[in-house]
Amino acid sequence: MSIVTVQLGQCGNQIGFEVFDALLHDSHNSQGLCSKRENEAYQASCKERFFSEEENGVPVARAVLIDMEPKVINQTLSKAAQSGRWKYGQHACFCQKQGSGNNWAYGYSVHGPKHEESIMNLIQKEVEKCDSLSGFFIIMSMAGGTGSGIGAFVTQNLQDQFSNSLKMNQIIWPYGTGEVIVQNYNSILTLSHLYRSSDALLVHENDTVHKICAKLMNIKQISFSDINQVLAHQLGSVFQPTYSAEGPFHYRRNPLGDLMENLVPHPEFKMLGIRNIPQMSEKSLAYSTFTWAGLLKHLRQMLISNAKMEEGIDWQVQPPLSGLPPLGKVSLNKELRFNTSIANLVILRGKDVQSADLEGFKDPALYTSWLQPVNAFNVWKTQRAFRKYEKSAALVSNSQFLIKPLDMIVGKAWNMFASKAYIHQYTKFGIEEEDFLASFTLLEQVVASYRNL
Amino acid sequence: MGRRRRRVDRVPRGGAGALPEAIAALSRSLPSAPSPEIFRRAKFDRPEAAPALWQLLFRVLSPLPADDASASPALEARARLVKSALCSRGYPRLALAQLPEDGSSGSRELLLALSWLLARGPLPEQLLAQDRVSLGDEMPVCQCEALARRGPSAPPVEAEGPVDIRFVQWLMGKLRFQWRQLASSQQEQCALLSKIHLYTRGCHSDRRLGHLSVAETEMLRDSEGSQRLLQALECENAHLEAALDWRCAQFVFWQWMDTVLDACPPDAPTAASQPPSQPRIPEHGAVELELVAQGLRALQEELREVTERRQEAWEAQIGGQGHGPEWSTARRALREAVDQELAALLQSWEQDRGPAQLHGSQPHGVHRLVRREDGASEDHDLQASEVIQALRSQEAHLEAVLHQLQGQCRQELARLAGALPDLIWILPPGR
Repeated sequence: MSIVTVQLGQCGNQIGFEVFDALLHDSHNSQGLCSKRENEAYQASCKERFFSEEENGVPVARAVLIDMEPKVINQTLSKAAQSGRWKYGQHACFCQKQGSGNNWAYGYSVHGPKHEESIMNLIQKEVEKCDSLSGFFIIMSMAGGTGSGIGAFVTQNLQDQFSNSLKMNQIIWPYGTGEVIVQNYNSILTLSHLYRSSDALLVHENDTVHKICAKLMNIKQISFSDINQVLAHQLGSVFQPTYSAEGPFHYRRNPLGDLMENLVPHPEFKMLGIRNIPQMSEKSLAYSTFTWAGLLKHLRQMLISNAKMEEGIDWQVQPPLSGLPPLGKVSLNKELRFNTSIANLVILRGKDVQSADLEGFKDPALYTSWLQPVNAFNVWKTQRAFRKYEKSAALVSNSQFLIKPLDMIVGKAWNMFASKAYIHQYTKFGIEEEDFLASFTLLEQVVASYRNL
Repeated sequence: MGRRRRRVDRVPRGGAGALPEAIAALSRSLPSAPSPEIFRRAKFDRPEAAPALWQLLFRVLSPLPADDASASPALEARARLVKSALCSRGYPRLALAQLPEDGSSGSRELLLALSWLLARGPLPEQLLAQDRVSLGDEMPVCQCEALARRGPSAPPVEAEGPVDIRFVQWLMGKLRFQWRQLASSQQEQCALLSKIHLYTRGCHSDRRLGHLSVAETEMLRDSEGSQRLLQALECENAHLEAALDWRCAQFVFWQWMDTVLDACPPDAPTAASQPPSQPRIPEHGAVELELVAQGLRALQEELREVTERRQEAWEAQIGGQGHGPEWSTARRALREAVDQELAALLQSWEQDRGPAQLHGSQPHGVHRLVRREDGASEDHDLQASEVIQALRSQEAHLEAVLHQLQGQCRQELARLAGALPDLIWILPPGR
């Protein structure tokens, strides 16, 4: 089944390019460390999902590019064409001459409705190219104007027009230090609107990815391209093909559907985060070997101590003893910053994958009291290695990991809202104070729900 | 024993060998073709015949497709399923329900149950229709079969201790996602089917069809497939022939079954719960039947006396208060409410039947899906638009029912919320 990607704004378009490039690069990687037959099945599965074949044999990304300024889209198109391996469709972009000036309201209430018909037609055409549609990836930033405002608008339209198809929004969380004065306003408006219309919000934090680039990849001068490549790597490690329940050579047909069914059935808990291991520069990779036991031990500790990467894990944090009464559990949690999960999905790729022992993730103490590990934990596997990693593991987790950053953004936005700063820029375009209040209520509720796990 | 055998020998149309042939035909026409010897042993209630008969009844009654052997449960589970399936169809003999589930005895009871099923309807024919090899792309246009084959419902599971509402919401969300996945894979199947129909246009030797079906296309691609199909067709033919033989010879079988019934002890009295459709009652059961009928009449008489006495007592009791003006107003109001409800029910019933009467009848059964450019159709053909229309009206009806139920739930919630004034209700995000 196929996934149609909607790339929105500067951020969405740049990341989208890196994602497709990473997917295709991996699927043509001859070092897959598996049989020819298996490699072919893997490639076919990846192609069906993310590309449609054009007549001259060049795969065309199943994507729609949307921005209000032509610059980034033109760059993205030409980069794809230059790669020679794949390209975007000829009529898959929509752009205008004037941006949204970092104003969410302008994107959502002006650009969105004005270009609704053209944008939805474009998406409809892309959907018609799929024999079967599983759903949509919507890649966008959270704090800007175009990507986030139009992104929220388009997601809502997709919900109305394709109600049976799944919608996963890839959201880029802004740097804590801030690029734009109203980024917190934009963020709460984006999040609250998506919480109503999307099925899952896969959150990528700029700060985290930046640290990964600096500490694990040893990049001295970190560019957006570096950051986006790490993001693309993480996404690829989740959504490249894995075996279905039928076993090897049968690749999962609808990973997006399976993932959502496993992780986000509850409408109040839709926030997902990705962690992966190992992550390093290609140079160091050549000198490293890994065992499944070692990788999974680290990954588990990253999960429970809420570490975003392999380095700087707090090994003191341990799951609460299950015998303790709920109150004791809460205080212990706070003390040691234990990250309680609702549900986790581990994806393993590479050599001897069948021998990996995942008992550590099936401990009931890792999960909220109302969900048993049998419901809350799932694993996907494939023998085929991902990129140049002989063994690699990724974890998609619905857990408390985002409470702190979310609470901070809501708090900062509230402080500004209480002094009515910059509100007129939003009311000018039809986003009223009540809309803000509704967003605050919803997000406070989300924070409280996650906190009370 | 000798007496019974003589009775069999006195078969009018049969003669020697008629009975073995009848039984052989029957067993060949049933799934997994049990040995005819099983039937003979079951007559004498031999324990070794029981497991085969449990298995046979399971195959006949199971809602699962026959080829799904991996899903076949253990003997105990099969026996339980057979018991409850028979019970839900109104099987009258209590002795069956008391049989041990380990298959250690009771072959005669099982034989009786099987023959009861045979007597109720054309069982071999029904089984044949179920497992028919189909070459075309067949689509059911109604839900009748799916609903009828649902099997006995699962027993309600009691949760240990209180259940967190969030877990229920989680399960509900899971169900929603599964529903959406089902819808999109259905859509995919339709898209692929349509592609096959378009690509094979003009390939079919049958001009009326014009294009190939999935099974036919598969056969062209893969020669082993056609071998398998041939085998399946031969097997089906053999079943069909056996069913025909059985039809001709069944008279002898029923006479033999009389002797089986003679051989077993009378069942505990269950006359009151006999369902309307029963096998023919043999003549020599008439005496017992008369006894039962007498008992029933006596019971009815007793019941009538008791109710009369109670009614009198009740009327005497409320007599004093039953004539005030309040009473009569209340009674009038009640009667009006009942009349209104009845009128509403009648109306909704009429509405339900409306479209069906308009179009003759709702489409039923399984049809072969054929794409036809010219739009010509014959008498028995069903236009897709008709099916769609029928489905739409069904959908509208179901939606109305859903709205009504939701309204009821909302009222109930409002009532509960009214009892808790301190509670604040916050709408869940989305969905």
